[in-house]
Amino acid sequence: MSIDAGPTGASTPATYGSPAVGNEIVRGERLNKWFHRGRAHELHVLEDVDVSVSRGEVLVVIGPSGSGKSTLLRCLNFLAPPDTGTVTFLGETLSAERLPRLSIQARLDYERRLRHFRTQMGMVFQHFHLFPHMTVLDNVAAAPVRVLRMSKPEARERAAAELGRVGMSGKTKAYPSQLSGGQKQRVAIARALAMKPQLMLFDEVTSALDPELIGGILDEMRKLAESGMTMIVVTHEMGFAREVGDRLVFMDEGRIVEQGHAREVLAAPENPRTQAFLRAIL
Amino acid sequence: MIAAIVAYAFRWSIIPSAIGELGHGVKVTLILSGISTVLSLALGLVVALCRMSGLRLLRYGAYVYIQVFRALSLYIYVLWIYFGIAAGIGVNFSPLTAGVIALTVLNSAYMAEIYRSALDAVDPGQREAALSLGFGRRHRFFTIVFPQGFRVAFPSLVNQLVDIVKDSSIIAIIGTTDLMGVTNQLVSYYRAPFELYTLVGFFYLTIVLVISGAAALVERRLNRHVH
Repeated sequence: MSIDAGPTGASTPATYGSPAVGNEIVRGERLNKWFHRGRAHELHVLEDVDVSVSRGEVLVVIGPSGSGKSTLLRCLNFLAPPDTGTVTFLGETLSAERLPRLSIQARLDYERRLRHFRTQMGMVFQHFHLFPHMTVLDNVAAAPVRVLRMSKPEARERAAAELGRVGMSGKTKAYPSQLSGGQKQRVAIARALAMKPQLMLFDEVTSALDPELIGGILDEMRKLAESGMTMIVVTHEMGFAREVGDRLVFMDEGRIVEQGHAREVLAAPENPRTQAFLRAIL
Repeated sequence: MIAAIVAYAFRWSIIPSAIGELGHGVKVTLILSGISTVLSLALGLVVALCRMSGLRLLRYGAYVYIQVFRALSLYIYVLWIYFGIAAGIGVNFSPLTAGVIALTVLNSAYMAEIYRSALDAVDPGQREAALSLGFGRRHRFFTIVFPQGFRVAFPSLVNQLVDIVKDSSIIAIIGTTDLMGVTNQLVSYYRAPFELYTLVGFFYLTIVLVISGAAALVERRLNRHVH
């Protein structure tokens, strides 16, 4: 199985396909997720959610905390596999339902497909999750070496290019503990981009940052969106949602309550819960 | 009794002639402890991984292993492995082999628990980041989780190494020529227990201090970039 290195090499300018919104790249269908399923304190965190994103599109997900936004992202890349429902990504459909418990072959096959899925779907976390025992350069080069089986020099070259793109060229030899929150998040973005993903998931990536650092990270994301990257962004930054988001979904209590063009929904929300939420935070 | 103590004639002058033998004993002790440490580090990790496995059978098997081998003293294991097994099923181990086996099973059980709590302490976000980048199980563990868990486990593992060195003296009861075994022989030859046991105490103390000092240096190096 060869893993496509993506549309761009390390040395070419940053473009990720056509900026024009094209065909569908990912679709989650009837996604359901429970925590503590079958117990007294069962929680239905994702309820029959349908979501899809087209190539080059930026989907913004907003909603109160606990509404299932992060869980939705984590279901799409199976960090938290949906209990029911399917995810179709780049034409391949994956489901965690009815996975035979005892067939080792089936499990290995599932894991192989999952890994392939994830190599094409980058994720950036609220708390960075950089690898503390590696330098910045190795943080970014690790997955290309281990997962894509690139040679070390080649992977480091790619890593250096991605770090340059997010303005971190000067810190390649530093360790994560020596970086500020904003710098850590830049490295985390570079780490995800080094896999040349087809889709980027951003999970409240500015929520753990000091206020003065937020703008810089949002600028990086804006640049990425302009380069044509397909993105799903969970955020509380309404300015960013309005300016960069193509489409927006508002989630509440595990459901998608309202969706539409980002500017339109933000300017004139129709659902009372969306209205209440936007009133409260703006 | 007081008369006996008063009558004890100190003969520190025998020490120079005993040093050569004791040097040999130090070598055997270091070999015995070294091999046991390496084996229990490896076996302990395997047991810890079984203990944390998704497969119930492995989990319970590891649990039983840990409980059983931590429950009894080294003294019993040594005698059981050396005399018990030889008599029961006719397998004759050399004293050194029996000692290594006894030290390894006992300490691997302790090390398994050290590994387990250290691996548990690694931020779950690290695993998620590795997953999200498409890392497979092996790379996830050896590239991301284990190096971080090992840093956490290191000080406790060094304590265990120190225990192995000290406990290895018990192996002398089955006739090894380790530091303690040699000392026992010298004591019966020279009849100078106070001098020789004092001396051997200093030998063990020195070995332990050297290990602790070296470990402190390694620890500082391991943690130089990590909070």
